[in-house]
Amino acid sequence: MSEPKGHALALLSLTKKYGDFVAVADVTLDVGRGEFLTLLGPSGSGKTTILMAVAGFVAPTAGAILLDGRDITPLPPEKRDFGMVFQGYALFPHMTVAENVAFPLRVRRLPRAERDARVRAALDLVQLEAFADRLPRQLSGGQQQRVALARALVFDPALLLLDEPLSALDKKLRAELQEELKALHRRVGRTFVNVTHDQEEALSLSDRIAILNHGRLVQAGAPGALYERPRTRFVADFLGKSNFLEGTVWGPAPGGFALDVGGARLAVRLPDGESPPAEGARSLLSLRPEKVALLSGEESAENIAEGRILAFAYHGTGFALRVETAHLGEIRAILPAWKAPIAPAEGLAVRLGWAADAAVPVQEDAA
Amino acid sequence: MSGAGRPGAGWWLLLLPALVLVVVFYVAPIAQVLTISVTEPEPGLGNYERLFTSPAVQRVILTTLRICIITTAIALLLGYAIAYAITLASPRARGWWILAVLVPLWISVLVRAFAWVTLLRRQGLVNNTLLELGVIAEPLPLVWNEFGIIVGMVHYMVPFAVLPMLASMREIDPRLLAAARGLGASRGEVFRRVFLPLSMPGVIAAGVLVFIFSLGFYITPAILGGGKTLMVAEWIGLQILDLVRWGLGTMMATMLVVAILLTLAVFSRIVDLRRIFGAGG
Amino acid sequence: MDGAYRSGPAGRFLAWSTALYLVLPILIVLPVALTDQRFLSLPYERISLQHFRTVLTSPEWLGSIWQSFTIALASTALSVVAGTLCAIGCWRISRRATEMVRVLMLLPLIIPSIVYAIGLYRYFGALDLLDRFLGVVIAHGVTGIPYVVITVSTALAAFDPRLEQAARGMGASLSQTLRWVILPRIAPGIFSGAIFAFIHSWDELVMVLFIASRDVFTLPRRIWDGINENLDPAMAAVAVLLILFTLLLLMADLALRRRSQGR
Ligand SMILES: Nc1ncnc2c1ncn2[C@@H]1O[C@H](COP(=O)(O)OP(=O)(O)O)[C@@H](O)[C@H]1O
Ligand SMILES: [Mg+2]
Repeated sequence: MSEPKGHALALLSLTKKYGDFVAVADVTLDVGRGEFLTLLGPSGSGKTTILMAVAGFVAPTAGAILLDGRDITPLPPEKRDFGMVFQGYALFPHMTVAENVAFPLRVRRLPRAERDARVRAALDLVQLEAFADRLPRQLSGGQQQRVALARALVFDPALLLLDEPLSALDKKLRAELQEELKALHRRVGRTFVNVTHDQEEALSLSDRIAILNHGRLVQAGAPGALYERPRTRFVADFLGKSNFLEGTVWGPAPGGFALDVGGARLAVRLPDGESPPAEGARSLLSLRPEKVALLSGEESAENIAEGRILAFAYHGTGFALRVETAHLGEIRAILPAWKAPIAPAEGLAVRLGWAADAAVPVQEDAA
Repeated sequence: MSGAGRPGAGWWLLLLPALVLVVVFYVAPIAQVLTISVTEPEPGLGNYERLFTSPAVQRVILTTLRICIITTAIALLLGYAIAYAITLASPRARGWWILAVLVPLWISVLVRAFAWVTLLRRQGLVNNTLLELGVIAEPLPLVWNEFGIIVGMVHYMVPFAVLPMLASMREIDPRLLAAARGLGASRGEVFRRVFLPLSMPGVIAAGVLVFIFSLGFYITPAILGGGKTLMVAEWIGLQILDLVRWGLGTMMATMLVVAILLTLAVFSRIVDLRRIFGAGG
Repeated sequence: MDGAYRSGPAGRFLAWSTALYLVLPILIVLPVALTDQRFLSLPYERISLQHFRTVLTSPEWLGSIWQSFTIALASTALSVVAGTLCAIGCWRISRRATEMVRVLMLLPLIIPSIVYAIGLYRYFGALDLLDRFLGVVIAHGVTGIPYVVITVSTALAAFDPRLEQAARGMGASLSQTLRWVILPRIAPGIFSGAIFAFIHSWDELVMVLFIASRDVFTLPRRIWDGINENLDPAMAAVAVLLILFTLLLLMADLALRRRSQGR
């Protein structure tokens, strides 16, 4: 599947108000052909509203929705030809699995033979051929979810919209279906727009993630880029965990700048092309716990902080430490179990270290 | 019931007053009706033979069935439209719609029949208005016939039809309707393929309710039929009060009860009767 | 979702027409009651309260109103006591064991009143209860039980049986538990049932036609005679008064439900 078959979607300054309440504020976003895009944000951040606007159920207050450059904002939902998986699946309880999947084909008046063939192919795609004659309530949650997927894909939609498709499933099943969903996306090569509040799901599934907060688009990008270089405190905090270090810029340093935090001086290296903030300005750093190492004896690092272990927890794959440092306040670190040089204990004096490019300057969020 | 175990005999005593009242003053008089139908004027099934031999009896039954079926069909249609509007209305509008259904439900059936007489009789408001507007030259026969009975009965039955249908429509997940549209169905198709089938239990329950209520209806047909079109309830009254033919009257009353119980028995296989008689059933 | 799903123009038209069909004919009695003519019509030159005056000064109408009111009060008391106790008993004893009792209690809703009325005509004749206040009260009281059973059962369905068990466990007797734990919680349901039972008796005609004749002459009976004999605007005035009274009762019920839900 080298050449993507899907269609491109663009949101231009999309805004939705309910009375005075702004549910979606001026969101501009491109979704490429065949891309798997996830809208990620806390509950109430406007994800569903955006998805429903794309599907045609919510009329935007302002802005436009383009499909391959064509304005589809005024089209009613049934004219848009988008597949949709609803939160809670919305399977028709009075129809069998096969009838559910056949529904979009029936309303499109496809001939009987073709309809049957495509229903079979779609059920095949989600491995539910054997369940064609069951009613939805006779299926498990994961199976219902797959019926919803088959129903949304059977008519070869221009776009597949998914609203929290996995949130009703238990954790193990969720992981399983994540992989299936990803494989499905690769197989059908369509453009998928997914909505979730689960950051792990977003990271593992998506080609690109758009992060929303209070109806605004905060940052969009590939999962790795977002995770490694969050632009705001909210993104750093919502996508993974983070330590935040706030201080005054002391001056430029090779490849970056030096930051004064509570009397300690930290080295910060910036990616090529980024210029350091002005001397004396306030700056906030995000430091991922897993980038903090525990230094043994004479080991050194570009940044070092000494302190005492406040608490630790064993997670199987590693240790999570909370360390009270002399200058930087409390710092969290996550160490792979095999790499921990000592047996941690509360009150133990330790030295933490991290590279100059481990900490990323982020902006404080607008209130 | 867990824990506390079997409830004591004291709780059974609570049932006693109602049981005694209902058995002594409700079941007994009705049982007597059934008995009279096979004992008067002489013991045997003579009264029931009339079902097959008397054209007058057959005519009453056929008239009643015809009126009941027409009433049920129209009440279901109109009631469905209202229940549908209530289900899809905004919460504020919903209150007004429900008021429009519940207020007639509780207003005296006599008052309503009287209102229809005022409107529909020869010199009534409808005929007078139409005459003055020159739409008609002669007053239309709108009441004291089958038409008048049906107008009045449907008016009485629509609220009863709305309630069970509304209950079953409110169980329909609105996301299913959105899903159907998102999958490409037009509004008509969403209604036909999703909404209508899912609301069917309520429609059947409403149909049963309206039909059995209509069968034994007395006041509205008596007033709006003007004594010319007889339904069974009025006919029974006539046998007892005016003609003193207890055997015939009680026979028809028995048939009425049998017809109602049969209808309930048949449909209890299809729908949960609790839908018909509310939560207490 | 504003674009989600709305009814089409045909459905809306039908719903509106039906609503008008339900409400307008009832409203028409108001202008007719206010007519300045001596026959059923809309007011010609001015509105007049003369027909209300006729009704409210007529000893016959006032007598019937009073009789209907006292009968309704007495029969409601009967329905409420019997129905409430029965609903509580059924609720506590378990559904299955009392299924028959419940069906029995609902019979008066299912069996047409004409059947009951002719039965009573004969039955009360033997007991010398025909044309007697007590006879009508019994008939209305017994047939009002289902309304109370339904509303009280609904109220009880939302009531945790463990509360009752806890009260008994702490040493409360059956009657103490009833008075202090159960009755206060289901009071709104009882009140609703009482209102419905009251309206039931207040409006009831079919039984009265058979078991009462001269001494007991209730309001519906007098309206019935009026409709069949002399259709005059005084009837419309009575209808208006009846509608107002019913609305008042329903509003009381609504207000009470609001209050109990607000808690
Ligand atoms: N129909 C509506 N009327 C008023 N407010 C709404 C409506 N739909 C959504 N909202 C509000 O808009 C905000 C965004 O909602 P939504 O898009 O559902 O968030 P999410 O899916 O991210 O949890 C929420 O605060 C919600 O309360
Ligand atoms: Mg949502």
